Amino acid sequence: MKILISTFGKDDFDKVVQAMRRLPYERLVLMGDADAMESKTHSVIRDLEEASGHEVTDELVPEAEFMAVVDAVSEIIGRYSRDDSGRRNDVVMNISGGDKLLGDAALFAAFRSGTETYHCDERFTKLPVLKGLTAKDRFTPSQVKFMTRVDGPSVSFDSLVDSISPGNRQPVERVMRELRKSGMIETKVDSGKIVVSLSDAGAEVARAIKTI
Amino acid sequence: MVAVFGTLGYRPKSLIPTIRSTQDVDKVVFYCGADRHDSEAVKRVAEAKKGVLEYCRAMKIAVDAVELEDPFDFKRIAVRIRGDIKKHKREGKEVAVFNIAGGTRPTSSAALLACILEGVPTVYVHDITYEEIRLPLLRMEYSQVLSTEERQILRTLLKNKSKGPTEVELAKLVGKHKATVNHHLKNLIAKGAVRLEKHPEDARKKIVKLEESTELLLGDDD
Repeated sequence: MKILISTFGKDDFDKVVQAMRRLPYERLVLMGDADAMESKTHSVIRDLEEASGHEVTDELVPEAEFMAVVDAVSEIIGRYSRDDSGRRNDVVMNISGGDKLLGDAALFAAFRSGTETYHCDERFTKLPVLKGLTAKDRFTPSQVKFMTRVDGPSVSFDSLVDSISPGNRQPVERVMRELRKSGMIETKVDSGKIVVSLSDAGAEVARAIKTI
Repeated sequence: MVAVFGTLGYRPKSLIPTIRSTQDVDKVVFYCGADRHDSEAVKRVAEAKKGVLEYCRAMKIAVDAVELEDPFDFKRIAVRIRGDIKKHKREGKEVAVFNIAGGTRPTSSAALLACILEGVPTVYVHDITYEEIRLPLLRMEYSQVLSTEERQILRTLLKNKSKGPTEVELAKLVGKHKATVNHHLKNLIAKGAVRLEKHPEDARKKIVKLEESTELLLGDDD
């Protein structure tokens, strides 16, 4: 199924309609705050959809700090990416509606999840997100495993070895060196033991991996 | 040299905290602009611009105020900002941070896009408290996710954009067998980077077109 997810603010009729006209879709999902969902603009869009025998699905995105909004949008994208039977949906996103924070957070989430994304306004711009390429694709499966196991503020290297490859330190050490070099993790020695923590960038990747 | 970049709307206070909180700033580059038909917006942006210029002058920091011809033209702004970041990097200057809090919505989003593509640390400034919110650096390095052959094809298509080569012509241009090029093209089509169009004179042939977004992705000079 083709799903169009659009950021939406109460005055964004033209932007959403541009997206509806330019992007083929079977189901329309609007993301925005309560004001937007209760607006006259929303009811006009709903009427337009009903005229074609469809419904608009609303996704409330509460006002929050930037990364919380990114996580909320990522979760919404993830939910619509597959249908109830597990089949992949074809999701496209428009980020021109809503307030600045929502639009920017949606753009951030698009790169995280590799979602085809557009900025539909008077001009129609396809954004350079490569479809299906997520933050996860920049790392090997062993690196992904390592980062997702560093849960909490810090973890001892020994416990990581136990959880990733019991009794086999060498490959885990190699992955740790790679991730340290790429700035994803930080290490320090505490009471003679190596302690690993995620850097800010590594934490973002770990969050992204969990939400996609 | 350390540079701070930013987008500016009506409030100098949305940009100045970033200049204050960055160590050893030598240069500030900011982007502003208003709808020319909206005299109130033009006036307010001009006042904000004056505020930032005065602050930088008082602090003896070099400043470059970039007036955007159209602050709603997302693509043009993104290309402009990305080009400026690349230029600073080429000249050995460090872009310490990019504040994307101010300006029109398309200006802010275009700046965020440029930051993601160029790996520049990015901040927001809270609307009420003016507190800085650092965004985790998300850099999409396409060299890591596209194969050498895929990148070669994209670069070749960019160079031959006006011509629009057929699949066979493209294979010749990249010096590879048509079947090999077709395989990579399939992957690039799936990723939404290129598309095939019918040849206007020969229905058996297809023209390979670079998606407009891929031009944004590749930048102008790498």
